[in-house]
Amino acid sequence: MIDKSTRRDFLKRSAAVATGAMILPQIIPSTAMGMGGKLPPSDRIVMGAIGVGSQGTGNMRTFLEHVKEVQFAAVCDVDSKHADNAKKLVDETNKNTDCRTYGDYREFLEKEKLDAVCIALPDHWHGLIYTAAANKKLDIYGEKPLARTIYDGRAIVSAAKKNNIVWQTGSWQRSGENFRKAVELVRNGRIGKIIRVEVGLPDGGRGVGTPPVMEVPAELNWEMWLGPAPKVPFRGISHWNWRWILDYSGGQLTDWAGHHIDIAQWGLGMERSGPVEISGKGVYPREGLYNVPVEYDFNCKYANGIELRVANSSQLPKKWGGATWFGEKGWINVDRGRLVASDPKILDEVIGENEFHTYKTPTNHWGNFLDCVKSREETIAPVEIAHRSISVGLLGEIAMTTGQKIQWDPVKEEVIGNTIASRLLTRPYRQPWNLPTI
Amino acid sequence: MKKQYLLILALAGLITILNGCLFGGHYKALVVTGQNNHNWKASSPILKQLLEQTEKFTAEIIKTPEKGGDMNTFSPDFSKYDVVVLDYSGDSWSEKTKSAFVKYVKDGGGVVIFHAADNAFPEWKEYNEMIGLGWGRTEKDGPYLYYNRANNKRDEQKIIDITPGKGGSHGKRHELEVKTRLEEHPIMKGLPVRWLHGRDELYSTLRGPANNMEILATAFADTAQGGTGRNEPILITTNYGKGRVFHTVLGHADQDGGPAMECVGFIVTFQRGAEWAASGKVTQKVPYDFPNAVSVSLRTNFKEITLEDDLTKIPTYDLTKSTKYFVNLQNRIRAEGKSPNKLLEFEKMMIKILENREATVDAKKMLLHEISWMGSSLSIPVVRELAKNQELKESADYAMSRLQPLN
Repeated sequence: MIDKSTRRDFLKRSAAVATGAMILPQIIPSTAMGMGGKLPPSDRIVMGAIGVGSQGTGNMRTFLEHVKEVQFAAVCDVDSKHADNAKKLVDETNKNTDCRTYGDYREFLEKEKLDAVCIALPDHWHGLIYTAAANKKLDIYGEKPLARTIYDGRAIVSAAKKNNIVWQTGSWQRSGENFRKAVELVRNGRIGKIIRVEVGLPDGGRGVGTPPVMEVPAELNWEMWLGPAPKVPFRGISHWNWRWILDYSGGQLTDWAGHHIDIAQWGLGMERSGPVEISGKGVYPREGLYNVPVEYDFNCKYANGIELRVANSSQLPKKWGGATWFGEKGWINVDRGRLVASDPKILDEVIGENEFHTYKTPTNHWGNFLDCVKSREETIAPVEIAHRSISVGLLGEIAMTTGQKIQWDPVKEEVIGNTIASRLLTRPYRQPWNLPTI
Repeated sequence: MKKQYLLILALAGLITILNGCLFGGHYKALVVTGQNNHNWKASSPILKQLLEQTEKFTAEIIKTPEKGGDMNTFSPDFSKYDVVVLDYSGDSWSEKTKSAFVKYVKDGGGVVIFHAADNAFPEWKEYNEMIGLGWGRTEKDGPYLYYNRANNKRDEQKIIDITPGKGGSHGKRHELEVKTRLEEHPIMKGLPVRWLHGRDELYSTLRGPANNMEILATAFADTAQGGTGRNEPILITTNYGKGRVFHTVLGHADQDGGPAMECVGFIVTFQRGAEWAASGKVTQKVPYDFPNAVSVSLRTNFKEITLEDDLTKIPTYDLTKSTKYFVNLQNRIRAEGKSPNKLLEFEKMMIKILENREATVDAKKMLLHEISWMGSSLSIPVVRELAKNQELKESADYAMSRLQPLN
């Protein structure tokens, strides 16, 4: 094992040295010649960013703080203002003006010779761009939720595995101390056998009516922003607010499925599997452009009989957000900034050496990615798990859309005996966009 | 001939009774009005209509004498009814009528207190017990009750405030943000837990004994509208003796009812509340047009929009004007999609619109996207045909890729 990873590591490094030396000598800044505790440039991870709106820029800022390990070379966004702002940030760190900007990810992937890329895009673009970057053998820090559809998600997983890339999902809660502690307590039976789980997510939806068609701002490539989604005129809704429209997102449900459902399944040991039966009900805006569910409430059954209820937290009895596991001996609830249990003593329990322990990260979520890029180990939020986490949210969406009870085979990833629900495992792409076949 | 006729009548009677037994009973309701500082001439007939609409009630209206009239002439036999709806605020009833009403409730009769009826009878102790909280009461009657306001609903708590002062106030009329506080109560079960209520006058700072009382829902009294900045109780139940009381502060009536009464949220909680008061159960389905946290929902003339209405409006569909009728159809499909036959019916109706030359491009685009997942091979010919149309090709391709996948 050690030999293998060392060899892979070596090959990767050799490639980085070669490309650094032959093709991109101009990007090595004079300040980065191995001085001041930094690694020599050839050993630093050369990164780029696709999608540098608020979330993408946030991720990039964190990576830029790892200046000793990382060197940013290029950024890409369909909004040239976003790209320009991100370039400014990179140039300030690199103390030069060399960061290149792109508006088309295909050109970005073609021209840039990178080790890794961080990607933060509206969900409807995830399938195409994650697979394209993986096929370029780039290690990826990719935002959750993994994909807009289960089909897209599986394609991303396959591309990542086929290309042997290191993948880290932006579901950073997995690196959080209280979430890991909750999972360890649950997995080690501190509340007894688990009976059911509740996941409380933020209340969904916004109202906007139908804003008039507007002129597309000069900096925005609207056609490219839409990409594989249906062509519609620009109505002033793009960045950030895409999450209220079903063509691009499933709303708060799918946005947060990548966090709290992820944690819930981790606690159940179901993080690489999924439920077998899903049914539920959504409440939708009665008018206007925004059409994601305002309220959502669905129930999932696992093969072992455990039930998981997912709802916007206002609908849950205790209005709790996060994940709550109910066991035969008590319950544990974990959310951001909160870890509570039916008996506070449960939280003082020490996990023995031979018990189940979650993955330990000596650094933070972003640092874990960089460590793994170097070590070629699996990250704390691998692509398969991200896929399984969002799959639960997407199956809930299908159950609410059809009003039907969905039978699901988590091994084959197929809906059983229901043509209509099966169709909703994909969203048709607008030509000329096509996802490479798995 | 005559015998046959009688037999039919008897059968019809039997069916009605069976119907009652099987589908949640048939109740007799009495709407009491005749005096009010509010527009009772508009509201009372509406309340009667709403009760009868459920097909669970027959309702009568009884009017008291006008203000200053001889109240001894008002002595209905309450015991004949399953629920008494009070749309009344005026002169005190006779002692005889008051004690008959108390007996009726104590013995298990149902009561609905509508909007300004909680202004009535501030001196009548038993009445205050029934309504829980009222307008024009003071510290001698009981505390103020409300929920505080927090960013997270989890942190909002019921506050019991014994500060001396007068009960009852309201800000300007506005659309109200309603939150359910008892999701599992039969009246609230299955309703969205947050919804917008049509423009209404929000009663605030009500106070009273609040015994055996539950707050089912609150609405936020926006300070920007002159409100208290609190979540004020708007749907309340109390138990008095064996009787059940449902108290709604919603429904400040305009000349024709207006948005406060046309609101589906008001209508449905009133109808469910009346059934609960009459029987302790609620058997009514939640209608597909219930409002939610982002959408007010009004019924013009208090009539539910029919599928036919939706199908007439969809062909003229213009995205920028309203998406309402299309969303109605979507909600119907979501609610009834369990049944394959029902889906097929919807599909046939949608095909008709897709074939309709007069129907707008926007309408057809929307329908093509919807039919992509719920359609069958029946839809394929018309989708193929529409793919020849430049403006519709993309949406037709979208539908076809799901209806007839390449593999």
